[in-house]
Amino acid sequence: MNKTFKISFSLKNTYRVNGILFSLKQIPLLKRLLPTTLYRVKGLKIFANILSILWEIVSTFLVKFLYVFILVCGVGVLYKELPENGVFLHILLFLTIIGSFTNTNLFNPTKDKYYAMILMRMDAREYTLVNYIYYILKVVIGFLPFTVLFGMNRGVPLWFCLLLPLCIAGMKLFVAAITLWDYEKRGFGYNENKLSKYVWGAIALLLAVAYGLPALGFVLPTVVSMVVFFACIPLGAAGMTKVLNFRDYRAINQELLSDLTNQMDSTAQTQRIKQANEKKISADTSITSNRRGFEYLNELFIKRHRKILWNSTKKISYVCTFLIIGILMAAFLSPDLKPKINEIVITWLPYFVFIMYMLNRGTNFTQALFMNCDHSLLTYSFYKQPKFILRLFQIRLREIMKINAVPALVIGIGLALILYVTGGTNNPLNYVVLIVSILCMSLFFSIHYLTIYYLLQPYNAGTEMKSGTYKIILWATYFVCFYIMRLRMPILIFGVMTIVFCVLYSIVASILVYRLAPKTFRIRI
Amino acid sequence: MKFVIEHLSKSFEKKEVLKDISFTFDEGKIYGLLGRNGAGKTTLFNCLNRDIKTDSGSFYIDTDGVRREVTPDDIGYVLSTPTVPEFLTGREFLKFFMDINEKSIVNPKSIDEYFDEMSIDPEDRDKLLKDYSHGMKNKMQMLINIIAQPNILLLDEPLTSLDVVVAEEMKQLLRSLKQNRITIFSTHIMDLALDLCDEIVLLHHGELEVVEKTNLDSKEFKDKIIAALREEENE
Repeated sequence: MNKTFKISFSLKNTYRVNGILFSLKQIPLLKRLLPTTLYRVKGLKIFANILSILWEIVSTFLVKFLYVFILVCGVGVLYKELPENGVFLHILLFLTIIGSFTNTNLFNPTKDKYYAMILMRMDAREYTLVNYIYYILKVVIGFLPFTVLFGMNRGVPLWFCLLLPLCIAGMKLFVAAITLWDYEKRGFGYNENKLSKYVWGAIALLLAVAYGLPALGFVLPTVVSMVVFFACIPLGAAGMTKVLNFRDYRAINQELLSDLTNQMDSTAQTQRIKQANEKKISADTSITSNRRGFEYLNELFIKRHRKILWNSTKKISYVCTFLIIGILMAAFLSPDLKPKINEIVITWLPYFVFIMYMLNRGTNFTQALFMNCDHSLLTYSFYKQPKFILRLFQIRLREIMKINAVPALVIGIGLALILYVTGGTNNPLNYVVLIVSILCMSLFFSIHYLTIYYLLQPYNAGTEMKSGTYKIILWATYFVCFYIMRLRMPILIFGVMTIVFCVLYSIVASILVYRLAPKTFRIRI
Repeated sequence: MKFVIEHLSKSFEKKEVLKDISFTFDEGKIYGLLGRNGAGKTTLFNCLNRDIKTDSGSFYIDTDGVRREVTPDDIGYVLSTPTVPEFLTGREFLKFFMDINEKSIVNPKSIDEYFDEMSIDPEDRDKLLKDYSHGMKNKMQMLINIIAQPNILLLDEPLTSLDVVVAEEMKQLLRSLKQNRITIFSTHIMDLALDLCDEIVLLHHGELEVVEKTNLDSKEFKDKIIAALREEENE
């Protein structure tokens, strides 16, 4: 037992440590500094090990602290009219019930289980029991300080606060035992990450009971909560015997981890992505094209990917039209809203950077381009001739701009209309700037995604994403857009700034692509 | 025509995969490139196809003493896993290719004639390439690579996963194509190399080296190749 624990702990540690080192190696600049022999550098290993153990300790306590502090006490404070101890126990009880089947450890398909039991073929029963007991101990020890601290603060007697962690663990054990028993009877393998709609329904119901009832002024009497909690101790003891005597842990884990087996295999994973992309190709045999050369290639590509390119952009445009009409109607029906809406339109233009970011189909387009087109064609040398790369870049840029311009125009014109209807503006230039700047944002995103795709071409022959820089730029784009959303600026200032920025960016991007793409637009090796 | 590589080298971080390769390939021959796993065969091809940058060295085409740079249309590169644009039909792919290369294709034939040559059935010609079988994708890839009549044809393990009939067809095809060009064929299958290739070239220690066949029967020749490749371990 002791040995199993040591092995499984060090296994978990090893892959955590290697995971930390691997992610360090993904950072563009750091990548060059770190040697390939990184994984055998003692100092780094020790450092990562310390991090890993610290995390083990912190996670034991921190998560429970936050849970009790925010979900139980924090929310509980809101119900002022009800007895403090009653609210505390009521919420804790129902959340514990939810946790007993959504946070089981036993039925959570994790990587460490996969490594240990499937890859290393460790004894499933021993491995599971050792880790489960460790988990239960962590529950008891991790909860103890906080049930005492917060429970006493809420007026729960000390002796009961001391028992609460045992009650929580008991409930978990009891539910685990029932699930195991259910497996024996029906052969149903439970997986806490793949809940059925009934279980989701039960969770919703329990949440409603936990938080909704107190809002209506009702909580379980303190005595009832205490009795139920208390009953969990003998039930947990009974559950423990079941858990210890259960035999079929290997079978249960085989089933639980069967999905992971596929996921862990990165080639199988990328193969699935590839196939998913192939499914997006329309099988409609009536699609043809009368054009020639690259226009021919492009037209067939766009037509056969209509579903993911044009159909979604159409849907977005319809929804936007609908929303705009809704706002216009609202303005007509209750005129007092008008000044408020007018003010929003005039100062909230930065908000639309984020909206345009969300609506942009750029990443879908480049992903489909790679998976279904460039992935294969880039292996042919004729396709890589600089003049062809640039020719195709122009065509593609034109297409993606067209696709994204439709919703942009709808939104731009819609906003101008709303502005007009809700009282207009003293500077008519605002209308123009509004429409042009929204259109510019959409053009910006189109160029942006296509440019970074051409300059960084992040995929390798196995269609795996290999470029850390590419990922970082995508994230950075998101964050910048997200932060711009918080700005409040008049249309004129922000709009003109946007337009200038977009025009400059487009020029720079085009120059970069013309200079560099013939060299960078390659399959990654 | 000769294809000359001079002092080509390539390292990945500290690992020197190709060190100072110098070699001259002659027109009209099929070269069998043998090397152990990880010896750098694919790296060499990727360098020649300019998919990756070389650290140093150069390669050029020498026609009667006149040197010139290798351009992309000089090279046809057939990969072991055939890749074809899945959203096109076989016919569309061929049409697209011929459209954009119309200047460089000498004596173009009709699309169906090309399909006939590769024995791709009429009913398959208008199917999407994503629904082609492995062998058919391979034929398509080969077809695209030979229509433009490249001077240098690089083949990276092209026959390994084909059924015996298609593999035999491909072998015949390669033999019929070898005139007026240089074919370099990498493989792990010794018998295939001996059967198809005019010269056997080993890639080991990051260098290229011809194995002379003079007066050896095929058994002795094989032993010689194995011995040469094994040598590596004893250093």
